[in-house]
Amino acid sequence: MLRFLFFRLLRAAVTIVMVVSFAFVVLRLSGDPAQIIMGADAPPEAVDAFRAAWGLDQPLWRQYFHYFGAILSGDLGRSMRDGRDAILLVVERIPATLALTLPALAIKLGLGIPAGVYAALHRNSWADRLVMLLAVAGFTVPSFVLGLLLVLLFAVQLGWLPSGGQESWRHGILPMLTLGIGGAAVLARFTRSAMLEVLGQPYIRTASAKGVPWRAVVWGHALPNAAIPTVTIVGFMVGSLIAGAVVVESVFSWPGVGRLLVVAVANRDLAVVQCVLLLVAATMVTANLVVDLLYGLLDPRLRNQPRAAGAH
Amino acid sequence: MSDLTLPAAVPAAPPEPRRSALPPLVIFALGWVALMLGTALLADAISPYATTALDLRNRLSAPIGFGGAWIHPLGTDELGRDVLSRLIASIRMSLLIAFGATIIGAVIGTTLGFLAAHFRGLIEQVVLALVDFSASLPFLILALAVLAFFGNSLALFVCLLGLHAWERYARIARGLAISAGSQGYAAAVRQLGASPWRVYGRHVLPNIASTLIVSMTLAFPEIILLESGLSFLGLGVQPPATSLGSMVGYGREYLTRAPWILLAPATVIVLTTLSVSLLGDWLRDRLDPTLR
Repeated sequence: MLRFLFFRLLRAAVTIVMVVSFAFVVLRLSGDPAQIIMGADAPPEAVDAFRAAWGLDQPLWRQYFHYFGAILSGDLGRSMRDGRDAILLVVERIPATLALTLPALAIKLGLGIPAGVYAALHRNSWADRLVMLLAVAGFTVPSFVLGLLLVLLFAVQLGWLPSGGQESWRHGILPMLTLGIGGAAVLARFTRSAMLEVLGQPYIRTASAKGVPWRAVVWGHALPNAAIPTVTIVGFMVGSLIAGAVVVESVFSWPGVGRLLVVAVANRDLAVVQCVLLLVAATMVTANLVVDLLYGLLDPRLRNQPRAAGAH
Repeated sequence: MSDLTLPAAVPAAPPEPRRSALPPLVIFALGWVALMLGTALLADAISPYATTALDLRNRLSAPIGFGGAWIHPLGTDELGRDVLSRLIASIRMSLLIAFGATIIGAVIGTTLGFLAAHFRGLIEQVVLALVDFSASLPFLILALAVLAFFGNSLALFVCLLGLHAWERYARIARGLAISAGSQGYAAAVRQLGASPWRVYGRHVLPNIASTLIVSMTLAFPEIILLESGLSFLGLGVQPPATSLGSMVGYGREYLTRAPWILLAPATVIVLTTLSVSLLGDWLRDRLDPTLR
């Protein structure tokens, strides 16, 4: 188990290093930020001063190591627009994003998993067909279309809810629903297929055959086994709590991390984009790590053998 | 056919009853995809107006059925541009991007997967680390960063979307190539002196093609959704070119006054992704028992 943990941590660290390098390469090599921020007709000495101030006049490899060192010491740079610490800018947006994504996660879990299990237990019934149809629809309707349709219905036609902004809790309802419904559909589809696969296993037949009541078979044998693949996708959803609302936040003008990212990208605010990238990667990697540890808890077979690299 | 023991073995693992006729939903999906492909191919011929042609006397006119006239079947936008013509151009653009990106992703992923399977060792570890990296960041975030910083050209946009889902092909190709290597046929061809190119290109690839094709039908709608999402945010296809997503983004401004500008492309996005997904699921059940 320790060995397993060690290798998992190592892979997580390698992934983070790759994300940092990626951010560095993409964001530094793609254009001259000094020209972009200062404008094309800025005086050359002002551009040079800007470069010197941000370290952009150094050789790239030195910028790279400097960048790594700074990140290790917790310094993620300042926003090139208003000079504030990028990390502060990002962190102060996190509560707004979580205020949307946490309730949305509850909707996904609360709707998606029961619907998927029910559909699997009643395979080929009308309920199953309905769940699957809704699940496919939920997957194929992009979030911005769903969001705008909800706005059209509840804000424009019925006038029940506001269409955007963050003034009261009522402003959050439509974005939460938009996020939650789509995710619930994905989760229902996934849970159903995981559950169907488990229900087809011989041990389920054995348990029924030896007289275990069906309810106990489902709760005691089928659900714990179906949980293993489902945990993966739930882990992904937890990992994208921070970054999963980019489009929806833009549709509803919700001042969260996602909107900050879109605006920062449009303005080429390097520090802020890097900061969001790192934060998102760290969240995803942590969530993946937790999922792998949960596998160990859920599946005793995996506890003592380190998984082969990439064998998932 | 000469194997007389086969029928006896079949009942041991009862397969699902296979309907030989096409399910109605699949027929609908096929029809819709054919319609979209036809529209994309014949866009110039069937488009009633140029995408930028203005009709200033008929601005924001409603579609047929909502008080509009046949002159603009799906209505017009704020500048009097014909929504149907723009929709046709958008369909061609979105399909072009999605096809290009799907093929790029499949080629890159399969190649890397084969390289990993062939060389093993360090190269395999590098590929797997790249796979981990891809899987660790939501693609939208990656794409946002790359797009805004490299500026935006159509070629770059297609290549960028091509990176979506490459890791899935890489995983599949690596896994299947490794298992093919332990089966007789690949070893036999290799023993006969075939080059690795020949082994992978002529023997392994055809054997795993059905799995890869199924993956492509699953990635295709995702790429359409990504493209339309990015274009919706104003970071994808740039004007004067138009795609389904950028039409929705434009129509959003006229949500209350002219919802048809938004509803027409939104409907096309939904029906197209739905149809390709349905076809993909159906193909998967048909062709490929290894994917769920």
